[in-house]
Amino acid sequence: MDLYGKMAATQGTIQGKEGGDQNFDYMFKLLIIGNSSVGKTSFLFRYADDAFTSAFVSTVGIDFKVKTVYKNDKRIKLQIWDTAGQERYRTITTAYYRGAMGFILMYDITNEESFHCVQDWSTQIKTYSWDNAQVVLAGNKCDMEEERVVAADSGRQLAEQLGFEFFETSAKDNINVKQTFECLVDIICDRMSESLDTDPAVTTATPSTKLTDSAPPLQQPACNC
Amino acid sequence: MGKVESKHPDPDIPKIIAAWWKTIEKKPQRPTLIIPNVHFTFPTLWGSRGDSPPTPDYSPTVFSTLWRTHETPNNFVPHFSDSVGRAAARTQEYLLFVDPEGKFKPSPAALGEVFLMTYVSRSSHLHMTDSFNCTAMTKQQRVLLGADWVWAVLERPTKNPCIQIAVQILHLSENDRGLAEEHPEVCAESMEMAKMESANRNKAERMVDFCASVGRDCYALFLLFGRKGDPGNIYGVLSNNFSAATGRTKINRALIENFFKGSRYLHTPAGMLQAIITKRPGDPLTLLIKFT
Ligand SMILES: Nc1nc2c(ncn2[C@@H]2O[C@H](COP(=O)(O)OP(=O)(O)OP(=O)(O)O)[C@@H](O)[C@H]2O)c(=O)[nH]1
Ligand SMILES: [Mg+2]
Repeated sequence: MDLYGKMAATQGTIQGKEGGDQNFDYMFKLLIIGNSSVGKTSFLFRYADDAFTSAFVSTVGIDFKVKTVYKNDKRIKLQIWDTAGQERYRTITTAYYRGAMGFILMYDITNEESFHCVQDWSTQIKTYSWDNAQVVLAGNKCDMEEERVVAADSGRQLAEQLGFEFFETSAKDNINVKQTFECLVDIICDRMSESLDTDPAVTTATPSTKLTDSAPPLQQPACNC
Repeated sequence: MGKVESKHPDPDIPKIIAAWWKTIEKKPQRPTLIIPNVHFTFPTLWGSRGDSPPTPDYSPTVFSTLWRTHETPNNFVPHFSDSVGRAAARTQEYLLFVDPEGKFKPSPAALGEVFLMTYVSRSSHLHMTDSFNCTAMTKQQRVLLGADWVWAVLERPTKNPCIQIAVQILHLSENDRGLAEEHPEVCAESMEMAKMESANRNKAERMVDFCASVGRDCYALFLLFGRKGDPGNIYGVLSNNFSAATGRTKINRALIENFFKGSRYLHTPAGMLQAIITKRPGDPLTLLIKFT
């Protein structure tokens, strides 16, 4: 349950800093990962700025955007990290896996190779992130039906096998973009309230007035949900 | 030398740099054989130029680069030289601007934009972006990675970068504050987060870290818009080995300026690029460049 303890710590730090928007109840750190050119940057661009461009500018290293969403009267600030899919940036991108509460693992339905790599990306998540990180699998570019090489069912089956949620999406036509993020936020929240219910120590992670410095990372080794 | 060290608690930067030069300096490899237009005789090496119109190529090609790692036509060298030359010349026009009334002063950001705009428009005019491209960083990336833009030599046919140059401008006017940190009003909140992720590193060190994380084929280039005593010229210090200094001393303007102490050979931008693409993979390389 280290994850949520850490989250609380992050929240405290941010609230203590000047200049940041202090009006949020939670902050979730999310990552978008997957092969180069599957559409990660486009997907985030669509979600955060409601825009799309067909030009391809491969991301250098890492980038991020911030978006605030509301859920049950709570303001949730999403810090969404857009990772570069190219192999040469692997050292820098995996460094950001730590502390991420959710991942959008993306492939391109018109690119078989990107689908085959899903398993590897999933292993990367297991290797570099918290045990409790939640994952949604997204088969992007579903607007390109004629060029499809990965059946929707294959995607769904793989997601099931890996224990991930699943959507087919299109950044271009704005299909399931918002839904993907909402789903990820929902499962993170569910997970969080489960741990709040079962572990009184985690209540330090709830928004309170005294979140100054010392919400300690919790030490329980095993998941107690 | 030992005595000097013990007298000074601060790191002896010139000494560090001198030692560093000794270990890592590589003389630029001189082309041994020049065959003009040689890549026309080996079309299969890089395939067609796609739909960009063929540009006449007058450039000599360094034969030795052909069997180095990168299968890419290097007619981008003269194009790079042309584009960057124009960018530097235009920026220089504004670098020494003095408002007679002493009120108006172009911001460092504006100077950087003039450089980049001039470079980008010229290079796209020359259709060189197939083999060599320039990616401007977002505000967030400028904070996270410390780079203002990244140049890349692209591999055929994947167009993946095989060599990169991350560029950070150092402005003379910000000398007293050390390296320029960005102070964006618009994105204050995002910046706050970006800085949290790379806490207690200055912008120069963040770029050096980024380059080191990618590897030896990712160079850091500090572009000096003016130097002490020479405010109107543009210089550069390029290295894929700045990380050798990390931990030993802070990477900042003073360290970068110190590279120019003594009379080092100053490369042209074309010479810089040529040295990079002809270098043996994995070797360290550190160069000084004069852009104007
Ligand atoms: N038709 C279609 N094209 C898309 C879609 N999403 C992205 N693209 C295009 O696919 C290309 C790659 O998109 P990016 O978002 O830059 O890919 P990326 O995953 O961020 O790639 P890296 O930064 O290299 O990891 C661009 O040309 C986009 O315009 C989509 O939903 N439908
Ligand atoms: Mg991208």
